[in-house]
Amino acid sequence: MSLLDGVRHQLRALFGARRYARELDAEMQFHLSLDAMQREHAARGALSAADARFAARRRFGNLTAITERTRAMAGLAAIDALVQDARFALRTFRRAPAFTAVAVLTLAIGIGANTAIFSAVDALLIRPLPFPHPEQLMKVGLIVPARNGNPPRTDMVWSYPKFTAFRDAQHLFSDVALYTDDQSTITGDGEAERVRTEIVGARYLPALGISPALGRNFLPEEDQHPEAPRVVILSDGFWQRRYNADPQVLGKVLDIGGKPYTIVGVLPRGFQGLSGHAELLISMMSLPADVLNEAWNHSYTLVARLAPKVTVAQAKADVPRLGAIVDRAFPSPEGSADHWGASASELDASRVDPMVRRSLLVLLAAVALVLLIACANVANLFLVRASGRRREIAVRLAVGAGRGRLVRQLLTESVILSLLGGLAGLLVAWWGVHLLTTFDPSQALRVQTLSVIGAVGFANIHLDGQALAFASCLAIATGLLFGLVPALQSTQSSLTGALKEEAGGHDGARRVVSSRNVLAIVEIALAVVLLAGSGLMLRSLGKLLRVNPGFDPENTLTMRFSTPESYGTDSLPGFFDAVLERTAALPGATGSALIDCPPLNGRCNGSVMVFRDQPAPVPGTEPEVGVHWVTPSWMPLMKVPLVRGRYFTRDDREGVRKVVLVNEAAARKFWPGADPIGRPVSVGQGGFWKDTAYVVGVVGDVRFESLDSAATPDVYLSYYQSPRSRMMLMLRSAGDVRALAAPARRLVHEMLPLSPVYEVRTMRERAADAMRYARFSTVILALFGGVALALATMGTYGVISFGVAQRTREIGIRVALGAQRGELLRMIVRQGLLLSLIGSAIGLVAALAATRVLRSLLFEVVPSDPLTFAAILALLALAVLAASWIPARRAATIHPSDALREG
Amino acid sequence: MRAAARRGASVAPSSGPSKSELLKGTLDMLILQTLTLQPQHGYAIAQHIEKLSDDVLSVEQGSLYPALERLQNKGWVTSKWGESPTGRKARYYTITASGRRQLGKEISSFDRMLVAIQAVMKRA
Repeated sequence: MSLLDGVRHQLRALFGARRYARELDAEMQFHLSLDAMQREHAARGALSAADARFAARRRFGNLTAITERTRAMAGLAAIDALVQDARFALRTFRRAPAFTAVAVLTLAIGIGANTAIFSAVDALLIRPLPFPHPEQLMKVGLIVPARNGNPPRTDMVWSYPKFTAFRDAQHLFSDVALYTDDQSTITGDGEAERVRTEIVGARYLPALGISPALGRNFLPEEDQHPEAPRVVILSDGFWQRRYNADPQVLGKVLDIGGKPYTIVGVLPRGFQGLSGHAELLISMMSLPADVLNEAWNHSYTLVARLAPKVTVAQAKADVPRLGAIVDRAFPSPEGSADHWGASASELDASRVDPMVRRSLLVLLAAVALVLLIACANVANLFLVRASGRRREIAVRLAVGAGRGRLVRQLLTESVILSLLGGLAGLLVAWWGVHLLTTFDPSQALRVQTLSVIGAVGFANIHLDGQALAFASCLAIATGLLFGLVPALQSTQSSLTGALKEEAGGHDGARRVVSSRNVLAIVEIALAVVLLAGSGLMLRSLGKLLRVNPGFDPENTLTMRFSTPESYGTDSLPGFFDAVLERTAALPGATGSALIDCPPLNGRCNGSVMVFRDQPAPVPGTEPEVGVHWVTPSWMPLMKVPLVRGRYFTRDDREGVRKVVLVNEAAARKFWPGADPIGRPVSVGQGGFWKDTAYVVGVVGDVRFESLDSAATPDVYLSYYQSPRSRMMLMLRSAGDVRALAAPARRLVHEMLPLSPVYEVRTMRERAADAMRYARFSTVILALFGGVALALATMGTYGVISFGVAQRTREIGIRVALGAQRGELLRMIVRQGLLLSLIGSAIGLVAALAATRVLRSLLFEVVPSDPLTFAAILALLALAVLAASWIPARRAATIHPSDALREG
Repeated sequence: MRAAARRGASVAPSSGPSKSELLKGTLDMLILQTLTLQPQHGYAIAQHIEKLSDDVLSVEQGSLYPALERLQNKGWVTSKWGESPTGRKARYYTITASGRRQLGKEISSFDRMLVAIQAVMKRA
């Protein structure tokens, strides 16, 4: 109780300072007047009113001192001091606009950049997933044992039958659900449209804790078996766009992939499935029964919510047991020794690709280094300023201010400057965040590899309260950091030395110079580290850009479409002929071809291959290959080199012996030292499993996944021997191929009026997208490196320049004694180079240690690449040379009489 | 607090320990004891201490106010503006329950100190 009273009293004093002062004054005046009255009364006329009052005052004590002591008890003294210091600081900053501007700008860049990168890290790595109780959400993956030289996987996706076995046996989770992302064609009212969808189970939304904004979730009856009525839930964006936010949309029928679906619900705004871009949620039971019930069709991700009272550790410990149950229910075919398992992990752990996480952390470290360099720069500025205030400080010390009080005052100044810098930095941060969100690398086609959970992405980066709090705390910490050394330094000066009129201030200057030199050396070292990092990344990017993708991407247009179900497999070859003939006949086109999945796509079809002239391998250990469907014109069109044998021809058709092409990687791996031509093989897709096909040619490696991954074995099938309904057209032209986009699109639309034509882009754009993220992070790191170099150069310039000013007398004397211009130039420049040498040496050691973390991000470049290091050291030396040159020239033009007079 | 001398000497801002530091606890005790009689304003407390101690304990009157502030911070004393007998506005201080408890503690420790000093002086 008493504590509360006490606290309340203290707070009242703090928040009502003016009232407190008034009341205290009134109280003491009351006391004085009572005392005066009493004395007057006691003296019975011997004392005049004025004398009585005077006596009362004397008896009371020093009114001002007592007021101050009382205020100090109330805790107001500290605030008084703070306000006073702040006002004084602002006044001095206003009087030195150049200094203030430079310092604020430097700090703004440092604090702003840090805030921007922090926002990105927050949105992508830290912020909890946007679901209720996200810590309860887990992902369960199947464990596939190692086989065929492939490492074991712990994140394998599920098949529906295995999922039901898991679901029925488990008690750890309150909800388990499957989902996968997909694409579908919408027909019906409006144009045929290709949309991204998710195929989900009925417990998907409840597991995530999301309820439809309109309508309902799938019912259990709709989730039982494939004969159930087809139902779909719309996303808010789709509902707005296609139905104009019509509230009567429930019950309407939507044509998806040619089949009617009933709309039962609309999702709340902002949620588009875990993939982040689903326009529709389609019930899993709409899949064909044979696809759904195939135990070895692994396509679905399992997400689960922990039951109350079950902990993450318990779940992780128990899931392997459930995995064994699933494995027993679905043993590997033909009794191979393989045993599959299951493992659980927090959903949050897979929010972004590990490489993205690592590169973001590298950027965070880099931008922190930039801030440190900025701090060193501003600290230097403060030291210069402090050396000009030595007399003022000495006088204050002499008059009796405690050293602590003075240090507090100087720190207040630096924190206020830093807060001003932080304010300006918010502008920089806003601009930076704007840049990050518009650049959004996840717009690239390879969405999967950037953000595994689409709900987390670059588009979600914004400056929120957390960013502001971060910026303020950073500003205060920065202010304390760069203010501390100058504050301690300048309050240390010996009184007599400072009070005397010192010309040139030799002793003080020497001492101060060395700490400023240290700051300059630190800046240079940090700049070396940053430049090393960005240099390595630039080199890596350069190597990446020069990788031969295995084909010629110039002037090639791509577009996707698929034939409707009504086209039978027999009529497809005729369709292929027609489409290729007519597109190649477009004015400006030099040729066309079809392929199922373009290069640099990130993920294409794959299967296994068996060699019919060798003993059958143990099931489950067959080698894996990428499988690609092409028309015969594709290889020559994309300039894929023929190494042996022949390309496909039009004669490789249905009814004739099946043929395949293999790439060099496959030839090297499967038939080392032998000729693969004529060998019999079977491939697990496209109808090539039961029949034997023969290798007729070996072609060059094409990068289907990405530029920085090694070439893997690929096998090619001809569209004419294995017709498929989904295809991508590749059209080449002599000139700018973008001019062909509209005519080609129209042509295909004419031939397939009911199918949408989508993903119309040039091959160059696709290739650029594949490298978008690598380019993005490298460019940002290079930017930081550049800023660091600029700041370090400015810092060095400042130190040398100040040193010259300090040594004006000495230089004047030297000139008077006959020193030559050249000598003076060399002297100053040598000083600069000495700083650079020491800084570079330290920086080199630090950089060699620091760049090791970049190893996984670099492509074909070692973290200790000597060429890069040599280049940046040379660059830094040049920069320092330039920075020393100007002060050196100034030193060389000092006239001895000026220098001697200046004292 | 100094015995006898009445001059109110000015106190330098960062004065050393001096007598006020030494007897800070004692001043608190005297104020609390004074307030157990009835709520009073600052001047009345000062007069009370002077009169009852027969002017031996003369407070530098001003040092009362920092002490009162400290006592309020600790919650041992509360204050309220009221009307003096002459009709003027004055701030009246009241001791709280925990203030009384604190007074009890201080009295017993002061007594202990007295006994100890007496014991030493007797031996000498």
